[in-house]
Amino acid sequence: MQSNDLPQSAALPLSGCRVLERSRTVAAAYAGRLLAAMGARVVMLEPPGGSPLRKAAPLLEDTAESALFAYLCVGKRSLVCDSASPAGRAVLERELDRADIFIDDTPVRDRAAQGVDPETVGARFPQLVHVSVLPFGATGPKAGWDGEEVNLLHAGGEGFLLPNGLSHELFPDRAPLKIYGHFAGYQGGCTAALCALSAWWSAAAGGGQYVDVSVQDAVLSVGAFALQRLGDGSLEHRTTRRFRYGGVFEAKDGFIELLTLEDRQWSSLVELLEQPPWAQDEALRDPLERSRRGDEINGHVREWMARHGVEDIVRRAQELGVPAAKYRTPAEVMHGEHERERGLFAPATLESGIEADVLVAPFQFRCTPLPGGARVPLLNEMEQEATR
Amino acid sequence: MSRPNAPLAGVRIADFTIHAAGPFCTHLLSQLGAECIKIESRTRPDAFRKPHAVYGRMQAATFDQVSANKLSVRLNLKQPEAVALAKRLVSVSDMAAESFRPGVMKRLGLGFDELREVKPDVVLLSLSSCGQSGPDSHFAGYAPLFGAWGGLGWMSGYTDGPPVEMRHVMDHSAGMHAAVATLAALHQRQRTGKAQHVDLAAREVASAMIGDALVLASVGATPVRPGNGDLGMAPHGVYATSQPDRWLTLAVRNDAQWQALSRVLGQGSSDPRFATIQARLAHREELDQLLTRWLATCNADETAARLQQAGVCAHVSWNMQDIAADPHLREREALTEVSAPDIPQRLAVGAPGRFGRTDDVGIRRLTPALGQDEDYVFGELLGLDSAQRADLEAREVIL
Repeated sequence: MQSNDLPQSAALPLSGCRVLERSRTVAAAYAGRLLAAMGARVVMLEPPGGSPLRKAAPLLEDTAESALFAYLCVGKRSLVCDSASPAGRAVLERELDRADIFIDDTPVRDRAAQGVDPETVGARFPQLVHVSVLPFGATGPKAGWDGEEVNLLHAGGEGFLLPNGLSHELFPDRAPLKIYGHFAGYQGGCTAALCALSAWWSAAAGGGQYVDVSVQDAVLSVGAFALQRLGDGSLEHRTTRRFRYGGVFEAKDGFIELLTLEDRQWSSLVELLEQPPWAQDEALRDPLERSRRGDEINGHVREWMARHGVEDIVRRAQELGVPAAKYRTPAEVMHGEHERERGLFAPATLESGIEADVLVAPFQFRCTPLPGGARVPLLNEMEQEATR
Repeated sequence: MSRPNAPLAGVRIADFTIHAAGPFCTHLLSQLGAECIKIESRTRPDAFRKPHAVYGRMQAATFDQVSANKLSVRLNLKQPEAVALAKRLVSVSDMAAESFRPGVMKRLGLGFDELREVKPDVVLLSLSSCGQSGPDSHFAGYAPLFGAWGGLGWMSGYTDGPPVEMRHVMDHSAGMHAAVATLAALHQRQRTGKAQHVDLAAREVASAMIGDALVLASVGATPVRPGNGDLGMAPHGVYATSQPDRWLTLAVRNDAQWQALSRVLGQGSSDPRFATIQARLAHREELDQLLTRWLATCNADETAARLQQAGVCAHVSWNMQDIAADPHLREREALTEVSAPDIPQRLAVGAPGRFGRTDDVGIRRLTPALGQDEDYVFGELLGLDSAQRADLEAREVIL
């Protein structure tokens, strides 16, 4: 069985950093996951019965274990702690005392009863960085509101703006569409990790501090360009937020994304399309004219794409400097030559003992590569190890 | 613009990044207190300074949201003397950041090895489409391509439709992940005194957004594109209301929330097809049809508020006007009003978190004019006198 205390971890970016995580939500768990991937020792405090994320969809068909939990929690340690009980409170105090960073998503109304309100924690552990990450944050009129991914992606503005392009053309009357999975939660978790490492940077000189992070805020942050456009007088809408030409195209054997923003890319696209007569129109040298005639251009491109194979199109496009990419399935990503050469995945042992390849991290440290992999922790494994 | 109480006070960045993803990374770090010096030239400004016709309007509409707080200097990196000055700037900085195609910094003489010669403990962030290594590393791309390569585009979309292109959020998510990794590298440098090269491939951030689906693919399963549905919750989705284009998002986790929803909407919850979560998941389509009927006469905003009071996750699908008017986001300073002598007051996104010990975070000044901070950077930091700078300008080293 693989270890979650890898010997090479002393050389990793966050070696020596001790993180305590209480997570019910993807955001808090992803914050801990990013820190664990970079070498921090992350202890998950789970309630009796385990984190609800252990049962979160999608599940593996054979074992019914959560693929989401496996992804979010590989490399962490697990310790059960009932913080409502005196014994649990003692465990919480002990682990907080050992931690540099505390990531928590306890709802505001429950924090005092569980001993994790920022005033108590800050007074007791002044060097600790305490990051709260909640759907709508811990302050403000909606601090008590709850939200799942679909709510938060729309509360932050991005949900209203999807889908664009081909999907919207095909289904103009359908409801707006969420991004797959937990995009909003991941932005919240990434923001929490960013704030945690920032506050930890200044902790040596100024002591620890409490940071309030909101998933809604994080979605708005990554969607800031739409706010900018509002200031410019344009209210974006999924029907109009589209590239005038380019976008998603169906080729003979799959889908392609094609996007040319610069003049030289337009010239290369014309070459990719084999210099068709319609593209020789002098007026199309003007980018605004191309925008005006975007539907007409896309019609021609669609017709051409339908006659060619994806791999040939992408290879030739990239040779010519035309930004184009295949829409790849998860299996194609998992087995991609590029990903394999870069070591994007590493083997991990799931709770059931099954081996699976899990994404290591969405960044690399070229001087001290991340090992990745390790185990998905069994519930309360730290306590069981201590009593073994 | 000294901000001694900001978390990253004292951190200096030599910023070569362009477009959206890289600049958003350094923008976040600057909001947290880092001093960020943006390096461009008149002949090669950041493309986001220039008007472009992406949406059919010839405007540089997006530069401000990733460039506030930054200092600006000009260096014509085609000139060896400018490269030497860039190296001096890196040598007095804590880190450098770039987002060119792999190999460009090396060709300029500013690759990781060259920078490490002038600053042995440099932290360099290289953010690109596909990373610094691997067979696709030379591929160019934008946010929608990152999503396509990484699998997120394939997994997003209506179940019976085509994949969906990701937009600026994909760029900015890459930038945010880069900021986290860069900060970790700074911690590592503080602990070890050693240099680090952070390599972020934006397509791998897109893959990280489908990490669960990739686990399934690894064990031989074929993940399904769920659209607005959820494999563990029902009802779950985005529903029309009595107001045109005013959608209600809804996520019901358990039986108690289902009963609360039915109660709030004045409907019965006794239908055995919907009595348990397993039953609701099994009858998902009928349930969605039922909810569509129930919600068709409802006011979206009132219903969302009432459902939240009853403990049900609900929210209106907000456009940017809704967001701009939201008292919650204003009170949290997630939205902040900015202005400058020649810029009318407008809204911008505030700091990424609310810090208990300091409010010295967020936007402190707006987008710099090209080269506006050279007195400080070239004069004070690099010690160039006015005659030297005039000479460098005359010879188009500073351009």
